Amino acid sequence: MKQIMATSVTTLLATLRETKVWKSIFRRGPANSNRTRSIAVFGNLFLHWMPVKVREKALHVRASYYLGSISLFLFLVLSVTGILLMFYYHPAAPNAYRDMKDLQFVVSNGVFLRNLHRLAAHLMVFMVFAHMFHVFYRGGYKPPHEFNWVIGVLLLLVTLFLSYTGYLLPWDQLAFWAVTVGTNIISAMPIIGDKIKFLLLGGHIVGENALLRFYVLHVVILPLVAFVLIGIHFWRVQKDGGLTVKPRDSDGK
Amino acid sequence: MENKKIETGFSSDAKKEPRRVVFVTKKTSAKVVGDRGPQLMTYPHLLLREAIVFEIMVIAMVVIALFWDAPLEQLANPLLTPNPAKAPWYFLGLQELLHFFPPFVAGILIPTLVVLALVVIPYFNVNVEGEPLWTRRPGRNLRTVLITTIALLAFLAFFDAWTILVPTAIVASILIFSYTARQQANGWQSALAAKPLSWWIMTWFIAVSICLTVVGTFFRGPGWSWIWPWRTHVG
Amino acid sequence: MSDTKEPAFSQSNAFPSADVSRRDFLNQVTIGALGIAGLGSVAVTYQFFSPNVLFEPATQFRAGQPDLYPIHSVTYLQDQQVYIVRMPEGFYAVSAVCTHLGCITQWKEEAQMIACPCHGSKFNPDGIKIEGPAPRPLPHFGISLTADGELLVDKLQSVKNTQALKT
Repeated sequence: MKQIMATSVTTLLATLRETKVWKSIFRRGPANSNRTRSIAVFGNLFLHWMPVKVREKALHVRASYYLGSISLFLFLVLSVTGILLMFYYHPAAPNAYRDMKDLQFVVSNGVFLRNLHRLAAHLMVFMVFAHMFHVFYRGGYKPPHEFNWVIGVLLLLVTLFLSYTGYLLPWDQLAFWAVTVGTNIISAMPIIGDKIKFLLLGGHIVGENALLRFYVLHVVILPLVAFVLIGIHFWRVQKDGGLTVKPRDSDGK
Repeated sequence: MENKKIETGFSSDAKKEPRRVVFVTKKTSAKVVGDRGPQLMTYPHLLLREAIVFEIMVIAMVVIALFWDAPLEQLANPLLTPNPAKAPWYFLGLQELLHFFPPFVAGILIPTLVVLALVVIPYFNVNVEGEPLWTRRPGRNLRTVLITTIALLAFLAFFDAWTILVPTAIVASILIFSYTARQQANGWQSALAAKPLSWWIMTWFIAVSICLTVVGTFFRGPGWSWIWPWRTHVG
Repeated sequence: MSDTKEPAFSQSNAFPSADVSRRDFLNQVTIGALGIAGLGSVAVTYQFFSPNVLFEPATQFRAGQPDLYPIHSVTYLQDQQVYIVRMPEGFYAVSAVCTHLGCITQWKEEAQMIACPCHGSKFNPDGIKIEGPAPRPLPHFGISLTADGELLVDKLQSVKNTQALKT
């Protein structure tokens, strides 16, 4: 009985693949030759930033511990959970806190979403630091990969700033005073410090303007910047020759 | 001025897409990888591994998120500062640093210098050859290390910056130990003695950062006073 | 002066060392124009981001009759984050915002000093620092009397910490 079911499903899929509609969407055919496997990567909008072939040594866990990939996946999780949380959040002073309580007690799965978002945020900061240190110890910054390292440092700063702007949004005591201290540190910069603090907060105090500005930064500007930088970062990995593989690895030692 | 040892350029193979390459123009001690090694198709090998990593990550995070609740304190009150008022964990190291140095130094100067140092690492050909610290001129290097370490420790002690002084002293001791152990044939001592200067500096930086962050998280209480974390949870 | 057919003023006369071709000249003018446009855009954007109207608490406030405050007292006005300090020599309006990183300090009656919870800075009632990482003493605000004899504090006006309001 199971065999009949299995074969009917496969024949169903096979006939489906032969239809005009399917062929108009997926144009390469089944990935059963190296040619079609290549097209699956470089002919695909979402995957073409990857190289068509990778060195076998680069696939080992110890080559990268997949730290860069994990950072990207965390960014994706944060984007999805973040957008979902946006449906129940008003970036205005008293409402923001009420919405946090809402998410905690009223919204279905609100607690879970918020926990996931916060966990992913902390993990992402940790992972990008780990990724940077690992790339350093592995020598992945050496020529011809110098510029990619700089992009990586920029991404680290964007990640920290994303986490920091998000920290204010619950509008609780923890958030408020963390931002007060942080913006006072910024105003310690000579000459331009006070101006930057004024622009960041949209005023002299951490108030409604500050909350809105941090919200726009956190939800639109910084994710777009991160998205572009991540794109460049992955593109450079491919164009500069792929993941660093140590000579030691090739010798099999 | 001598020719640079490492030149960068574009590969001249017209059939393949342009790719940056590095020409090693002088005889160096660096090992050069001639063969790129066996290659596999991205689809399915890399994509499958990435999918597995993603799944493991998501499952682990979902399980944790079901049990660990994100904190939410009282409504923001501009008139009442909580005691202590702590930054998120990744800035607690900085906040600990702020305890010892004025805001401009700890908050602006040092972070800017750190970021600048990180950015210029690849452009100063840091550790291109990976030369161990004790191979050439071990005596002179040891003297430089000792003088720098003592000066740094004195400076830190003058500012009572114990949180930085202790990891510095520990890393420096291990570094000096690696000098004494440099004649070892194999084992972890010889591996340690073979590490280049850049490795030591980065390890020192990581040790200090971790120490600052851990102290800021667990060992600081009201008024940023020193507390023993186990004592606060008693009773 | 010259009897050549050259016009009195020409490109190569005015800038004798620069022989610019028409293409380069047009390129330079374009880049210059785009540069000015770019700078203008930055300036306009900066103006956009700087709010002109702020909905923040008033910076001038009344603090009641002077007799409300006994001599040698420090009274914390929570809404304004200001200490009204009355000493034999007069009144001071001392800011309660710590000069280190902006946390709100607290008046400790038993110890007769102002303490900041964030990093342990301690101040005298007149704002001078006793200990801690705060770089400056607590600032003093301008304090005066209104026409009907009430105390008026102006947080936008800074005064020297030796200046007291005599009543």
